[in-house]
Amino acid sequence: MTAALSTPAPARPAPRQVRWLLRLHRPALCAWAVLVAGLAGALLWLWGPLTDAAATAWHDYDATCGRGRPCRYDQDAILRYKDVYQYTTMALLLLPFLAAAWAGAALTGREVETGTARLAWTQGVTPLRWLAARLTVPALLVAAGTALLGMLHHAAWSAGRGRVPTAKSWDDVPTFYTGGPLIAGLALAGLLIGALVGLLVGRSLVALCVSALSTAVLWIGVHTALPHLWPVATSVSGRRGFPSYSGIKVAEGIVTEGGAHRPVPTCTVDLSPQCQALNDRRGTVGFYIDYHPYSHRWPLQLASTGVLLALAVLLALAALRLLHHRTTTGGTRPGREGAAA
Amino acid sequence: MVEYRIDRHSGVATYVQIVQQTKQALRMGLLRPGDRLPTAREVVEATAINPNTVLKAYRELEREGLVEARRGLGTFVRRSLGTGPADSPLRTELEAWADRARAAGLEREDVAALFTAVLDQHFQGDPT
Amino acid sequence: MSSDTALRADALGKRFGLRGGWALRDCSFRLPAGRVCAVVGPNGAGKSTLLALAAGLTVPTEGSVTVLGTTPAAARPRVGYVAQDKPLYPQLTIAETLRMGADLNPGRWDAAGAEQVVAGGDLDPGARVRSLSGGQRTRVALALALGKRPELLLLDEPMADLDPLARHELMGTLMAQAAQYGTTIAMSSHVVAELEDSCDHLLLVGGGRIRLAGEIDDLLAAHLRVTGAGTPDALDAHTVVESRVTGRQLTALIRPAGALGDDWRTATPSLEELVLAHLRNPAAPALTAAGDAEDAATARNEEHAA
Repeated sequence: MTAALSTPAPARPAPRQVRWLLRLHRPALCAWAVLVAGLAGALLWLWGPLTDAAATAWHDYDATCGRGRPCRYDQDAILRYKDVYQYTTMALLLLPFLAAAWAGAALTGREVETGTARLAWTQGVTPLRWLAARLTVPALLVAAGTALLGMLHHAAWSAGRGRVPTAKSWDDVPTFYTGGPLIAGLALAGLLIGALVGLLVGRSLVALCVSALSTAVLWIGVHTALPHLWPVATSVSGRRGFPSYSGIKVAEGIVTEGGAHRPVPTCTVDLSPQCQALNDRRGTVGFYIDYHPYSHRWPLQLASTGVLLALAVLLALAALRLLHHRTTTGGTRPGREGAAA
Repeated sequence: MVEYRIDRHSGVATYVQIVQQTKQALRMGLLRPGDRLPTAREVVEATAINPNTVLKAYRELEREGLVEARRGLGTFVRRSLGTGPADSPLRTELEAWADRARAAGLEREDVAALFTAVLDQHFQGDPT
Repeated sequence: MSSDTALRADALGKRFGLRGGWALRDCSFRLPAGRVCAVVGPNGAGKSTLLALAAGLTVPTEGSVTVLGTTPAAARPRVGYVAQDKPLYPQLTIAETLRMGADLNPGRWDAAGAEQVVAGGDLDPGARVRSLSGGQRTRVALALALGKRPELLLLDEPMADLDPLARHELMGTLMAQAAQYGTTIAMSSHVVAELEDSCDHLLLVGGGRIRLAGEIDDLLAAHLRVTGAGTPDALDAHTVVESRVTGRQLTALIRPAGALGDDWRTATPSLEELVLAHLRNPAAPALTAAGDAEDAATARNEEHAA
């Protein structure tokens, strides 16, 4: 024991495992590159030519239709803009699931299932380094790819805003999630969910399904929490009108005589005699709506991305801890000195 | 150089087989003083037996003064074994005895059993 | 812990899951460095669990295992391990697999040695691992494990997929490794005969416990196969592993506690007899610890004196 301690192993160069990680997942790497390049191309196309063509078509439409003249406009350009926008948006929405499913199945699940993880751990790569490389490299690639696509998506959407009447509103759910860093945060969290599930489950097919489902659950959670990540704006009206707002409605209710805002489930306007009676009874002096206007778009994007990044870090730590516990510490460990004596 | 053949079903301990085969090679002149025995690595690579078994056999041969280990060089033959020439008086006597045994009607197995019994009696305690 | 111990277990136990059964329990033994150890036992006895614990791939539920004087995790760079199903990356070629071994073990990779193991099998270095037969996979997996020039080599059923020729040849390669570098080898099998000539140390695992542990010669010398006329209680003074009465004849495998009477015919058991007798009789006391080994030596001396 003392002999072993007094002669520490000579420092050895670190194992070069990243190039082998890239080699082992070369097909996935190529597929990712093609996917990102393809979507980036489509978004650039949408951003420039398609938006311009659609805007021109709408201009022609406005100029010709409804003035007693036959409509002369390029309907195909409008439809093409809509289609490409929809398809690219849907494709971007799928990326977090794709990252989760791949990570669960191929990155960790299959290696645990087939035992190649153990092969690596007995080939000079400690389990923690093995996992750290498997989290870091894909995380960088996924984050870089999705962040680029998110920014391009936002640029393409912005280009159509105000020019193409059918362009989606900023608070359209798919548009909001795909246009900015939020999609990168989701993809990153999905990747780490997948990596952790793969380690926990150890079966690639099961891990694939569980990872994708967990990502869906995460998304629902993010969607529920999102409005509360930034202070809301409030619009108030008297009894005779109703509060005006735009963007994401968070809550609505009545203003009481004391000026307090009370959320209520029904009769947030005096639409019917029954509601009038109800609002009379509860002393309503006005109505209010809490909402996020367009100016909250970026704060909401950044706050939710921050939450997802923090979650990704926690997931990574959980995965590392799990593996450390499985392979290095854990169980009851009687004093080593006692055992060695 | 000598090559060992290990017979797993002979019932003879593996290291004894190596000792016997070395002595046989010494008697037959296949190994002469100054010759190097195969290294343990060479033997185990060919026979897949345990290295310690080979070392045990070599130590036994060394103890009998037949070979000597030279550090870093290998194990070398020190002396050869008497070949027991065909016309030695002992052999002549044994042949005469075998003739008499046969004439007395003993089968080959009977002779072998008798011979082994006498060997056991006279060489009790000696290493094989 | 002296450096002449390659592997040591103290009250080692492993349970899978919180309510799962114990794969291994109360295992204590010591494997000296430089030995070739047969880890023998029926399927499901806990051999694989034991080797995985020693390789630092899983952690004990209780007790401890010490590898090369340190923890299994700290010893990992000096330990080679080949799992039962010989996992390899199927998408790599053989040459790539060996290059990966070199990259993952910088500073200790023996490229020539690894290539030699593969070359013995007439394998095309450009062949993909997924196209290899079971025996060829074993060869590549062994090349990876040997290439890192381990001080302790843990092999789980290494010969199971091999034809007799390859088995003999690869066993020769392993023995050569042991002879040249003093590598300690522990290899499991459920076929005793497969390991008999190559191993000098035995670890018999049965029902998750260590039944026999020690030098094979000592273990054999500590036991006697006795035949004679009598009833089983005639051997009460000794530890009886197994006894059987056929007519008037009693046949038994015992650990003699002293001299036996003249009316018993005795013989040293073969390794296979010893192993089978212990596996057939799970209630027979184990013979494992260092103290027991001294008992075995005493028994051997008494046997000589008798």
